[in-house]
Amino acid sequence: MISDEAYRELENAIGPENISREPAIMDGYAWQALETTDPDIWTTRPIAVVLPSSIEEVQAIIEVCKKYRLRFKAFSTGWGVHASVGYENVILIDLRRMNRILEIDEKNMYAVIEPYVCGAQLQAEAMKVGLNTHMIGAGCGPSPLASATSFQGMGWDGIYMSTSGRNVLGVEWVLPSGEVLRLGSLGSDSGWFCGDGPGPSLRGIMRGAIAAVGSLGVFTKCALKLFNWPGPPQPEVKGLLLDAKTKVASNFKLYLCTFPDREKFSDAAYKIGEAEIGYIQVKNAIGLMLATMMPHLLKKLSRADALKKALGAIGHQFMIMFAAHSQNELDYQMKVLSQIVSENQGVLLDISQIRPFYETFWWGLVRNSIPPLIFRALGNFHLGFGTDESFDSQSFAKKLGEDVKEKWIADGAILDDLSDNAWMFLYENGMWSHYEELFLFDHRNPKQIGAISSINKNFLQVTKDNNICVGLYAHEPAARKMFSPLQGNYNHWQKKILHMLGGESVSDTTYYTDEKDLLQNASMFCRESLSSGP
Amino acid sequence: MALSEYKRDMQGCSRCSSCKWVPFNQVKSWRFSKNCPSISRYNFQAYSGSGKMTMGLSMLDERSKLNETISNIIYQCQLCGACDTACKVYRDDIDLTEVLLELRAKCVESGELIIEHMALIDALKSEGNTLGEPKGKRGEWADGLKVKNINNNTCEVLFHAGCRSSYDPDLRDTMRGHVELLLSSGINVGIAGAEESCCGGRAYEIGYRGEARNYAEDMLSRVKSSGISTLVTSCADCYAHFQYLYPRMGMKLPVKVMHISQYLEKLILEGKLNLRHKIPLLVTYHDPCHLGRMGEPFLTDWTGDKLLRPMRMKRAGRMGIYDPPRKVLTSIPGLELVEMERIREYSWCCGAGGGVLEAFPDLASWTAQERISEALATGAEALVTTCPWCERIFRDTLAKTNVSLPVYDLTDLVLKSAGVPEHTKV
Repeated sequence: MISDEAYRELENAIGPENISREPAIMDGYAWQALETTDPDIWTTRPIAVVLPSSIEEVQAIIEVCKKYRLRFKAFSTGWGVHASVGYENVILIDLRRMNRILEIDEKNMYAVIEPYVCGAQLQAEAMKVGLNTHMIGAGCGPSPLASATSFQGMGWDGIYMSTSGRNVLGVEWVLPSGEVLRLGSLGSDSGWFCGDGPGPSLRGIMRGAIAAVGSLGVFTKCALKLFNWPGPPQPEVKGLLLDAKTKVASNFKLYLCTFPDREKFSDAAYKIGEAEIGYIQVKNAIGLMLATMMPHLLKKLSRADALKKALGAIGHQFMIMFAAHSQNELDYQMKVLSQIVSENQGVLLDISQIRPFYETFWWGLVRNSIPPLIFRALGNFHLGFGTDESFDSQSFAKKLGEDVKEKWIADGAILDDLSDNAWMFLYENGMWSHYEELFLFDHRNPKQIGAISSINKNFLQVTKDNNICVGLYAHEPAARKMFSPLQGNYNHWQKKILHMLGGESVSDTTYYTDEKDLLQNASMFCRESLSSGP
Repeated sequence: MALSEYKRDMQGCSRCSSCKWVPFNQVKSWRFSKNCPSISRYNFQAYSGSGKMTMGLSMLDERSKLNETISNIIYQCQLCGACDTACKVYRDDIDLTEVLLELRAKCVESGELIIEHMALIDALKSEGNTLGEPKGKRGEWADGLKVKNINNNTCEVLFHAGCRSSYDPDLRDTMRGHVELLLSSGINVGIAGAEESCCGGRAYEIGYRGEARNYAEDMLSRVKSSGISTLVTSCADCYAHFQYLYPRMGMKLPVKVMHISQYLEKLILEGKLNLRHKIPLLVTYHDPCHLGRMGEPFLTDWTGDKLLRPMRMKRAGRMGIYDPPRKVLTSIPGLELVEMERIREYSWCCGAGGGVLEAFPDLASWTAQERISEALATGAEALVTTCPWCERIFRDTLAKTNVSLPVYDLTDLVLKSAGVPEHTKV
């Protein structure tokens, strides 16, 4: 419960129409099925929800939190259990009203945005001036500011546009203390163009590998690096997704590259990175493709063992898209790819020739509108691993991931996706890469939701036993306790950062520094309400 | 059905927020990328399609109780279906609009009533229309027209006017024009005159299902006894209810149901309607929600596992009426059509539907203003639609804001181009 005094002060700060403590309204922020391992999907309910419209209002909210010993949690597009509240005395700061694209600097190739701009909006505006923005794996609906400053940020355009944490430039940041910190060139009144100065360069402190998931304050504006877009300013697209038709410009090409084994698959990926070709590159997971596009067929396939084996044999494949400025550039990239595939005994398939599939799929890849289709088969998914590593390490982990999944598939705990549901792609010309092993389940099915916690533990144990870098799990309290001592005591340093910035008693620290034992038959997430802290 | 029967739909929400945006493939700008008037206006998650499902689940799980605040949130929504269409881009197993309708039925069952809606239902009971106008004057719009009354004549086509058009004096010329066009094309058309009643759709939408059923039964009985082969209406709301709601309630009309835009297209294709006069005008077209995504014909209730529901069995907006009005418009010599960013299945609502115009006029106006801004951004000289509710709210909102943008019904332009004598002024 929030006291009437605190509520009134918040009301005065942001206006009565922008605050609520109505239970049913707050429950709108307490249902997060994605990434849950808890059969009870409900998360802790905030004690109030506020909708600020400016940095001044954000500061005023934090002042009230400090005064009344309340915690806060920043929230933008808010998707996934990590966006939920973990303590019982939390004011949820819904940043939905801060939704502007403030600037697109065509010459210096960056955009300045507020928290509730979504990826599709930014891309649509950037393309009008020949630029594009990095899109994250969750699709084009989430906030680019959130992934740049506060959580994760990888996507299948990583080969060309890297990952969110590497693209953030100037930042406007309200610390848990209520002070405003401006990073990069912004910190010396030099504009938004650079993340590393002149001015304080604290991107490592701000987000590290995974980021602080709202525990280090509220990011009210940031500049993001934009990238070249050699396509039309506004592609003409008819249809909504699987029925989409687009006339694709001739300076684009999409290929499927299939290799005889895991080693050749990895070697080819490294060579592609070294050659600095490609605009989008992602492993083509046959199970994932079928689950999203043809779930009915996948269900039938799961009963056809011979066909499953045949599909498994061609599973070492990835797609690569070229986006060139000229025919010569396109020819060069195609020639290089052809040679790499040939040297690695692969088969090259020109998807650009497969219409209407290409006309549908091309924009789905560029706009990044496909990802939420993963919910189509059963309504939910979870992931094992989730690491940023060298491509060879990922290929090694991929085999382990398949093995983990197979036994749970046999048990009926997750969908039979042919054990091939890897989301895997290169970053920055192959210097490193990302991999998640996805598994699909129905959280409305008691058996399946009941097994998710155990499957997670299984993946964690395999991660530990095989010295795989912990990635996406790092924000989870139980994983933190398990892996921090193995990886430089990272949580010790995160706590120091939190203390330095004054967040210990005012932030919701659940997904940044809290630790929890990994109990048998219990949720890995810190779902049950914690105490209200010091 | 009851709210509890949609529990799996509500539980299935992954909170991806697709319900708040135009289907992502179609986001063309920052400005016109949102699809839901309700959350766009009020901002709390509870106002979104996803949020309303979560509220419903919260009540079913007894975490919260229905009260006036929640009831207002449930009704501050035009039931435009944009959230449902966007959700179904990705999901086969969630029927969001059905959840929204069940929430309203729950409000009525629980006595959490909206005063303006109670007045609407009282008017419906006493006068047979949603506006509270005298029943006896319902057919006056057609006075002087040489059109048959189906109560004492045999006709091939019944023209159903609907509540708004029957009584709104500003729309009277358009109404008469619909019939004049049919008559001048040689169609054996009749009207029900003062005997015409509300289709009952608005009552269903605001949760009063008994009343909706009564009016559907009345309509079914009139159609059955009339001997007509085709029912034509110019009201998008009525059209949607005849096409979807009636069959859903087990009262499918045993005749062909057509919207006036479809019928005009048919007449043009058959050469019975000749659009010969030039209208040099740049127009943009607003898709009425109930003619488009909500106007899909009802196929059948899917009783199996929704996860395995074939795509064609989803009410996803694909089978709505989008092309006929556009084809009619582009058949007019000299007229040029420029599209807004949000069109067809992902059109932005006019603001008037779902009982919002009656109970929350500020939300209705705000929503209409958003659409007017979008229309103005195209550079069009006029906004064309083909639903009396849309036309009414656009005209009223424009009048309040002193913005100049002529609003036409599709028929207004057809009349001028066809040169039907009484209608040569646009």
